[in-house]
Amino acid sequence: MSAIVDLREVAKEFPLGKTTVHALRGVSLSIQRGEFIAIAGPSGSGKTTMLNQIGCVDVPTRGEVFIDGQSTSALSERELTRLRLRKLGFIFQSFNLVGVLDVAQNVELPLLLQGTLTRKERDLRVAEMIEKVDLTPQSKQRPNELSGGQRQRVAIARALVTQPSIVMADEPTANLDSDTGSRILEVMRSLNEKEGTTFIFSTHDHRVMDHARRLVTLVDGLIDSDAPHGPGGSA
Amino acid sequence: MNPVAGLGLLMRMALRSLWSHKVKSLIVGSLMAFGTTLVVTGTALLDSIQSAMSRSIIHSLAGHLQVYSSEAKDELSIYGGGMMSGNEVGQITDFSKVKQVISAVPNVKAVVPMGIQLANMSRGSDLDRAFTQLREAQRQGDSTVAPRVIPRIQRLLGLLESELVNREAVSSPEVKKTVADQLADVRRVMKPAFWAEFEAAPMTALDFLDTRIAPLGGEGRLMYLRYVGTDLDSFSNNFDRFQLVEGEMVPKGARGLLINQRFAESRLKLTAARLLDDLEEGRQQGVSISGTPDLESKARRLGTLAGSITILLEPKDAKALEAELAEFIRPVGPPTNDGKTQVFDDLKTGTRFTVNRKTSPDPDAYDANLDRLLTAFLTMDDTTLAWRYTFFYDALGKRVDLYPFETGDVVTIRSFTKRGYIKAVNVKVWGKFVFKGLERSELSGAANLLDLMTFRDLYGQMTDAQREELTAIQAEVGAQDVARENAEDLFFGGDDDTEEAETETTGFSEFAGVDLKRQRRATVDERRFDQAELDEGMAINAAILLEDASTLAATQAAVQKAVDDAGLKLRVIDHERASGLIGQLAMLIRGILYVAIFIIFAVALVIINNSMVMATLERVREIGTLRAIGAQKRFVMAMFMFETLTLGLLTGGLGAAIGAGIITLINRIGIPATNDIMVFAFSGPRLRPDFTADHIVLAVGIIMVVTLLATYYPARIATRIQPIEAMRGAD
Repeated sequence: MSAIVDLREVAKEFPLGKTTVHALRGVSLSIQRGEFIAIAGPSGSGKTTMLNQIGCVDVPTRGEVFIDGQSTSALSERELTRLRLRKLGFIFQSFNLVGVLDVAQNVELPLLLQGTLTRKERDLRVAEMIEKVDLTPQSKQRPNELSGGQRQRVAIARALVTQPSIVMADEPTANLDSDTGSRILEVMRSLNEKEGTTFIFSTHDHRVMDHARRLVTLVDGLIDSDAPHGPGGSA
Repeated sequence: MNPVAGLGLLMRMALRSLWSHKVKSLIVGSLMAFGTTLVVTGTALLDSIQSAMSRSIIHSLAGHLQVYSSEAKDELSIYGGGMMSGNEVGQITDFSKVKQVISAVPNVKAVVPMGIQLANMSRGSDLDRAFTQLREAQRQGDSTVAPRVIPRIQRLLGLLESELVNREAVSSPEVKKTVADQLADVRRVMKPAFWAEFEAAPMTALDFLDTRIAPLGGEGRLMYLRYVGTDLDSFSNNFDRFQLVEGEMVPKGARGLLINQRFAESRLKLTAARLLDDLEEGRQQGVSISGTPDLESKARRLGTLAGSITILLEPKDAKALEAELAEFIRPVGPPTNDGKTQVFDDLKTGTRFTVNRKTSPDPDAYDANLDRLLTAFLTMDDTTLAWRYTFFYDALGKRVDLYPFETGDVVTIRSFTKRGYIKAVNVKVWGKFVFKGLERSELSGAANLLDLMTFRDLYGQMTDAQREELTAIQAEVGAQDVARENAEDLFFGGDDDTEEAETETTGFSEFAGVDLKRQRRATVDERRFDQAELDEGMAINAAILLEDASTLAATQAAVQKAVDDAGLKLRVIDHERASGLIGQLAMLIRGILYVAIFIIFAVALVIINNSMVMATLERVREIGTLRAIGAQKRFVMAMFMFETLTLGLLTGGLGAAIGAGIITLINRIGIPATNDIMVFAFSGPRLRPDFTADHIVLAVGIIMVVTLLATYYPARIATRIQPIEAMRGAD
């Protein structure tokens, strides 16, 4: 079975004033379908940069990214956008819900962008998804009426509603208290098990890492360790 | 993306977004609503004015189209580009051909020949008129006239004498001699001895009066007369605004002048009566004299005009008027301040008022008392105006001529012909007319109507008959000297009782004397002409009236093609262009409105643009998120466009509705025309504007374009936002 994500010698450099920041210094990583993988490391180690490369919202300075066997370096911006729409789901650190839309509408948004389903199919899919994240009573509420945990659950629903191959989560619990964070991770974990969706999330919180099945640690733009990880186990 | 579902999403996001930025939406929205209101009201109002003005122009003078020589140096201007008639607009040599060709074009109802000219008109000086009366009386052996006219001549001579005394005092030595001689002549006539001579040998005395005294009397009152020479019959049938209000229509085939009532009222009428009319009109409209600068100055001027009235009164009437005035106006004590100030009682209203004159009247003048009373009478205020207005017309109207001529009189019109000499023609005034609905407009009111044959005479065009006559006269006069015995007959002969026409020459010897003789012989040309004669001559331009005005442009093109094909060198223009300055006035107002609209929308554009750029910067993370989860750039562009378009449609619709409401309201009330240009522009006393779907569509269309233009730049910025922006921290 081929890797769903394959990074080959990926490097990313940013100009910062007169110097250059080497965020990634040539990273190779292979992620299989259905994995539940955490990318850890101290601040500035390159976690978010690596997620951006995998999520196709950024292009590497050197090296290549393969998503589901397809190289992304040859794709136009338009094709990359289509790839994100079809195969990727995003969960953001600060939820990034559309404030003017209610819960159901936020969840429906990617389906509307895809435009492949009928209204009925969409309604059904959205209702199911909201049910899975336990937000059915809140489905007509606007994001600013919800708690942080509820908002992140809306974001999870939005990321998963298109049944993507990969879900990216950048520090999904950073803006939540630890209990809520744990529950969010449990939701993600159960969706990973039931739906077989690949989850890749970045974090520097040990309690979050504990939920991961595989832990990749970055230090200074290079992979420091990459090891399987079990519940209750340690890195 | 599914288009229908996508549209729903965009709409929802647009509405929500507008709602969540209420203040911004309110400011931008009000601006757009205001702009739309302005466009709807402004364009509807202007179109209403323009179509009203078209009605004025078309149905009073211009017709739908005008044709004139394509070789003309200047543009045709029906209402006059300026005051003078010197426009070089060429001429149509044979109108019948033009009529034939144009009448054959479909949709053409009538072709009316025209020629517009400015001439002057006079009845000679007061002395001239008195001498004429004397001569006529002598000829007819009427002995009752002299005792009546001689005192008036004495009075006029008294004025002339004092004028000459003043002139003598300021003259140079060479001129002094001439003035002294003139003064001696005047004084001779003022003595009873002269009138004894007159009894004995009236013709010799008259000869002296005509040759020595009359030239001192000045030009008399000179009036400018603007007339349209036309086929009067065709004109009255085709211009529906034409309406005869006094006298009769000039009979078919006859020559004659029709005076515009507005012209008569505002230009011909006795100055005192005109001023009084203005004050009375103000009173009826509830405008008081005190506090209204225009009326105050008119009232002041009226108070100085007693002399201009007394001079017109027969002695008998003067006495009667004096007695009537004394019943209601009584002096309170003698004049003071060197005779310049005197207090009077108005017995009708029981008010006391003071008369201040600039100069003190001559206390020894025989009509000094009448002069004082009349001055007091004419010094009016808001309380005394009402009865004095009535009294003026009752007591004075029957004793003086309020107009220099009346319907039925014959007047002399003088104009510069195209060949440079002055041509004079006597013509009968058959009646007065108005252009319905435009009674108060000076613009259309300035045009009088003259038959085309007389117009041609004045223009310098000779008929074949006249040409033959001229040749005959030239042969007859040849080297013949004018004998003293014949002179009387030559210069003052003739067998009708109308006043003479005189012809001044400006150096064209062919007409010196000769033309004069012709004029004497046939003071009024009474020969009838037929339609063919009328048609087969020249005209300056021609008005074309259409059956259906909605296809004006197409018919204009068809007429132009027809005349071109016929080889006639003519230019066809529409009524707006033909109306010259007035047509341009409408364009000017339109220009100002468009500039105002442009400025408002330019401001709106900048403000919308600015607030959208701000909104874009506020929404960087939201847009980045949308891009990250798979929204294409065009979705972002559409999202922005949709938002402002929604706002534009809502507020533009609101603005258009308000504008339509305003126009409907104005339509109910009507805008009153307060001056003559407005009467003309409104085609009546009130403008009742209307709007059409076009105005709404135009306004909403403009707002849409402005909105899209204003949003394009910020929307472009938004599309450049990268999906990675979604990954940045909370802020």
